Amino acid sequence: MTNSFAVAIAVARKDLRAEWRTRELVPALAQFVILALVIANFGFQIDARNAPSIAPGVLWLALVFAGLVAFGRAFAAEREQASLEALLMTPASPVAIFAGKALAATLLLVGCEAVLLPALALFFGTPLTVQVVAAVLLATIGMAALGCLFAAMVARVRARELLLPLLTLPLWIPFIVAGGQAVQVAMGSGSGSYDQAMALLVDFDILFLVLTSLAARFVLDE
Amino acid sequence: MSRYDRAAAAAVALMLVAGAAIFLYAPADALQGTVQRIFYLHVSAAIAAYGSFAVVLVGGLIYLRNGSLVADRFARAGAVVGLVFTTVTLVMGMLWAKPIWGSYWTWDARLTSTLVLWIIYAGYLLVRQLAEPGRQAARYAAVVGIFGFIDVPIVHFSVTWWQTQHPGPIIVNDALPPEMLATFFLTMACTLFLAAVMVVIRYRIETLADGVDQAMAERVQLVGPREPEAEPVN
Repeated sequence: MTNSFAVAIAVARKDLRAEWRTRELVPALAQFVILALVIANFGFQIDARNAPSIAPGVLWLALVFAGLVAFGRAFAAEREQASLEALLMTPASPVAIFAGKALAATLLLVGCEAVLLPALALFFGTPLTVQVVAAVLLATIGMAALGCLFAAMVARVRARELLLPLLTLPLWIPFIVAGGQAVQVAMGSGSGSYDQAMALLVDFDILFLVLTSLAARFVLDE
Repeated sequence: MSRYDRAAAAAVALMLVAGAAIFLYAPADALQGTVQRIFYLHVSAAIAAYGSFAVVLVGGLIYLRNGSLVADRFARAGAVVGLVFTTVTLVMGMLWAKPIWGSYWTWDARLTSTLVLWIIYAGYLLVRQLAEPGRQAARYAAVVGIFGFIDVPIVHFSVTWWQTQHPGPIIVNDALPPEMLATFFLTMACTLFLAAVMVVIRYRIETLADGVDQAMAERVQLVGPREPEAEPVN
């Protein structure tokens, strides 16, 4: 157990260090989400009145597509260097390796959210409250588990750029339903209960964390 | 006539019987008139889709446990048949919605989750196609099939969990007159039989396809890949 934990931390540190040295992904993702906000502005004609009702949708759209890029990249470097096979040949458990890569990809996506949320507040004038941040972070956990599982899967499949969104997006919908409601309520435009949506997010997080950790062995061990 | 032909003929005959019951025996709905007759096949197809996806789930679980090729072929067969019945459910639902709700589509939880179900299992088939045939495709697809099944209870309970335009459960709530109920159960039994026959025939097709793949692989091992044709000499 402690050994698996140490492996996961080591793999996550490796990925984060690689990102720190190259500084490729997070700046690119930050630019990507800013561009998404700019495009939303032209698509919706945003003004002070309609911003609170449009901003949550823009937030989730930008986050979902940034997430797809982030998780797709999580296994891209390993594939390009064919180093995943080497990693898996070590006695470390595949689940621990998967957990490490998922942890690193999650933190990189959180880095992207650290740009997205303030930018949304700046350009759309929506409140940047603890409630909004908490809902986004809670959704990120489960979305990352699922996204990394399917990213690991498509890494060794043809047409991977095509397949990753097709597999991941439908299963992310529960997080967007609950997270969407929580953010709408927190931004003052939705109906329903914030606490209920957050409880649902926690349930989904637990469900998908358990399922992905059970399934990771079959996906990585291939 | 092979066993498969006979089973298929029996399924078609039963569906015709169900059709006769729907149009000749069941009474017309007092409010909606004849368009309500869509109900019988619409709901039956949805149940057949649930059943087919359950085959995908169980087949996937068994495959991951012991690598059984039989389980994997059943899973493949279930996914195709389930997708067909989900399509039937969606299309018939839209045809029903247009005259009654005034539009083909509304974003309510039941409709949306059913559409998502369709997308998930279309993705399942895409994984099968894009992954390396054999162990990789089977394993990856099993994982997708297990995760995808989470949507089935969501579809089913969506009408109780959320406020939906789509009506809630009416069979278990005893809201139908006996003639309608009898017609529904007949249609459901016939549709489930049709689905089972389709799964079995599809299973046979998958077995034959696996045999062809294996024969090709053996030929490559024995003779080597086919030599490219020599350039014609001028």
